[in-house]
Amino acid sequence: MKALLKTLFGDLRNCCVVALLIASEVAMIQGDWAEFAPLVLPPLTLAGVFWLARSWRAVAT
Amino acid sequence: MSWTIFSSAFLTAAVEWVEAYTIVLAVSLTIGWRAALGAVAAASATLVGLTAATGGVLALGAGISWIQLLIGVFLLLFGVRWLAKAIAREAGLTARHDEDEEFAATRAQLASADGRAAWLVAYKGVLLEGLEVWLIVIALGIGGAGIISSAGGAIAALLPVVLAGAYLRSPLRRVPENAIKFVVGAMIVAFGNYWSLEALGGSTIWPIGASALIALVGFYILGGLLLIAALRPREPREVTI
Repeated sequence: MKALLKTLFGDLRNCCVVALLIASEVAMIQGDWAEFAPLVLPPLTLAGVFWLARSWRAVAT
Repeated sequence: MSWTIFSSAFLTAAVEWVEAYTIVLAVSLTIGWRAALGAVAAASATLVGLTAATGGVLALGAGISWIQLLIGVFLLLFGVRWLAKAIAREAGLTARHDEDEEFAATRAQLASADGRAAWLVAYKGVLLEGLEVWLIVIALGIGGAGIISSAGGAIAALLPVVLAGAYLRSPLRRVPENAIKFVVGAMIVAFGNYWSLEALGGSTIWPIGASALIALVGFYILGGLLLIAALRPREPREVTI
């Protein structure tokens, strides 16, 4: 069961990054900044990827 | 046939089939090829059943934005993880996936296992690796039209793995797994962004329509390469006095 959940969702950090991305999308759309969302979302996602990749160093060391 | 969807599913599945093959190879040395292939067939049947059932349900609900959002979230959960892991491995922050190590670990696990336990190791291994393929096939095939492309890509990826495995009879260590994961991660994140935002903001949210997908893939590949360079540990400079 644990292996299945990890396969589907990854770890907590991964879930946090995706939750923040979706929350940002909702905030931009609800806040009338929808036209900026396609420009803001990709760098925001890359920042999440950066944080996640960097956190592997912290886990490894 | 959408070749973008086909190639994304093909690459994702190829990585997973290679990992599943390593487990099956290790199990086959304990219980023989016939029993190990029986476990593969049972796991494959489970996955085909899951794909048919979920594909049918999603086709019924095609166009419903919350289903699109759900799929987008799952694609992001996968894509962000794959891309970050590939970047961390390429930058040397964490060890690369090693098929030889995986093979040795499975062999050690099987050392004290009986035939039934070994069969279950093969079944669970193929099922768990296959679950990622299932999710990608379903997610990329959303709407029904793309399901043939995504399922076709996943099935086509079996062929080179099976042929190489049958020929070599050893772990497929020369597959550039990290490079594939990097490209696939970029593709899946792009699809995840595209669908989640479209589900929330409507079909006109992306100013250049579906072409945004190609731009997004390019952005994540270039951005990922920059992140690898930025995260690579720098060699300490020698100080001469």
